[in-house]
Amino acid sequence: MLLTREPREASPREGAGLGVEVGLSFPFLAAPPPAVLRGEASLEGAFLGAGSGDAHAALAEALLRHLPGAAPSRVYVGNETCERLLPTPRAIGSWVASAREGRLAVSLVLPPLSRDGLAKAEEAVRALDGVEESEVVANDWGTVHRLRSRYPGLTIVLGRLTHKMLRDPRLADCFDSPQAPMAARAALCRSGELAPGFRALMERYGIGRREIDPFLQPLEADEWESRSEKVSVHFPYLFVTMGRACLLGAMHGEPAEKFVPGAPCRSECRKYAVEFRLPVPGENGAVKNLLNRGNAYYHAVPPSVIERILGRLPSSRRVDRIVVTVPGDGSGWRQ
Amino acid sequence: MRLTVPVSNLEEVEMLAENGAGEFFCGYVPPEWLERYGGAFWLNRRGPVVGNLVQRDDVSLLTERSHAFGIPVHVTFNAPYYTPEQQEFLLPLIARLARESGIDGVIVSDVGFLVALRCAFPELSIHASSVMATLNPGMVDFLEALGARRVIFPRSLGVADIEALCDTAAGRLETEAFVMNEGCVFEEGYCMTTHRSVGALCVQLPGVPHRVLPLGGERSESLAGEEGERARELMGAFKDWVWFQNGCGNSMNSSGMPNGPCGLCAIFDLARTGVTSLKISGRGASSYRKLVSLQMVRGVLDLLGRGVPREEVARKAMALRNTPKFCEARYMCYYREEAS
Repeated sequence: MLLTREPREASPREGAGLGVEVGLSFPFLAAPPPAVLRGEASLEGAFLGAGSGDAHAALAEALLRHLPGAAPSRVYVGNETCERLLPTPRAIGSWVASAREGRLAVSLVLPPLSRDGLAKAEEAVRALDGVEESEVVANDWGTVHRLRSRYPGLTIVLGRLTHKMLRDPRLADCFDSPQAPMAARAALCRSGELAPGFRALMERYGIGRREIDPFLQPLEADEWESRSEKVSVHFPYLFVTMGRACLLGAMHGEPAEKFVPGAPCRSECRKYAVEFRLPVPGENGAVKNLLNRGNAYYHAVPPSVIERILGRLPSSRRVDRIVVTVPGDGSGWRQ
Repeated sequence: MRLTVPVSNLEEVEMLAENGAGEFFCGYVPPEWLERYGGAFWLNRRGPVVGNLVQRDDVSLLTERSHAFGIPVHVTFNAPYYTPEQQEFLLPLIARLARESGIDGVIVSDVGFLVALRCAFPELSIHASSVMATLNPGMVDFLEALGARRVIFPRSLGVADIEALCDTAAGRLETEAFVMNEGCVFEEGYCMTTHRSVGALCVQLPGVPHRVLPLGGERSESLAGEEGERARELMGAFKDWVWFQNGCGNSMNSSGMPNGPCGLCAIFDLARTGVTSLKISGRGASSYRKLVSLQMVRGVLDLLGRGVPREEVARKAMALRNTPKFCEARYMCYYREEAS
């Protein structure tokens, strides 16, 4: 009998990737990448073909080592932080048609939505009507409420932005420090989602899946496994923060017009990124990466974190999907 | 519109009440919390100690004094989340605050905790913090379904959005919008960073080594020519914006009034949205700043009361602020579209 770290029987994992589904997320692509959606790209090819660089090459290697035979089976369309990148119903139709060729399922990703964005999102959701195994990833509870009340049969996934835990890359490595008070360590390595109130919400809204970040601090085992819902884990970017006003979107505006939430932009996030190198407190000269993509900031987690998380997947009862963000515009971006 | 004002010590109550405060909010961090978590996990958004009361007797006294002026008191329990163990600690604490200290309600950010509170205390007034990031009508419906009494709008919403959400909330939820003092370039409800030990990331970012990279190229490539110039301008403007949002570098105007994010010139428009309350933020601010902020907002509301036209209200509001160049820059404004 295979045992997990907890004293119980592990779930049997069969088939390619030990039964762990792999989703590819293209948050900045307006149109589907043909080779990937036709199912012609290998896992490495899917990562590298989008020009994502060394971090993704290392991720592909680790992923195949931990989950032999893993292959993309789902694509994510839409951006989790910006409603300007919400795909039109027509674009979704194009993604769905292409995905069908490659026998891939489709997940529509919605960011925290404004009132106008919510109306547009509903149009996008309707474009998924009848598409088998499709789902919608919602990143605010207002969207969850609206979608559940109007589309009772819709599969809603709770996006990682709703998973409230600190992820500050400057400090998160220290959250599990033996010098910290035990209660503080526990509180920084788990969320409030196992409390009765949150459980009641998950049941009330019929949420069967929750997305989680690749946390730098090791999450407590309960945070992964003591849920009723399934868990998807993102790689290789840890979401850190976002604004409703966009940094890159301000590039072409007049000074007084810059940084207005919801202001028009030229989709500069599809052409540029801003790389910050954060000094690590107390460590001479050490830096941590922070990547701005438009209105959001991410940290590419180090291989040790990827190893730690992937290592628990084969025996996990709850985590059955990973979501790999391919950040480029499809024309290649070396990081 | 009522004015919701922060209070962080007993001596401020009378002063703020006499100057027009309509509601108070305060923080309370008991010693037991500090013993458990040190400064690692803040009980509320202003922690671990500064800006908070630390004795329950002080909460009782503050409430008693406020009630003598007819002013209700809400206490902030607005950390982004509480673990199950923390919720077990907080529920009896809040019970005592309501039963024995007489508080009128609480302000919360954790949706699960809101459910737990409503279940445990059916009559308790619960305000949904701006940290819940209510951006759309679905969230208003959600909060009503959960039993919130009020929604506090995030600072990133414009007046038109606030008006639409107030329409949605009308007759179901009270509403509250920011008018003075605290700002951030990030959306509070979706910021997973901490100010603890390492300071505010938002404030640090402009000074951190960075470069704007073109996608589709090699890492070593940097922007050149016109693109490079635009990138430099962008990052310079970003630095300015962060500076303004951070209390204008924590500076003061010539009258000694601390500068900072402001919606004074939008009060005329805010009044038309039907918003229930205007929030002056800054529990950690000095008593002087709280007082002057309140007087300025009160002063603009008095103009409205006298029927002064919109443009004149805006002009006089900016005169009250007494930082014309900062107002012109617009990066200090909560309500950017209204300033144009």
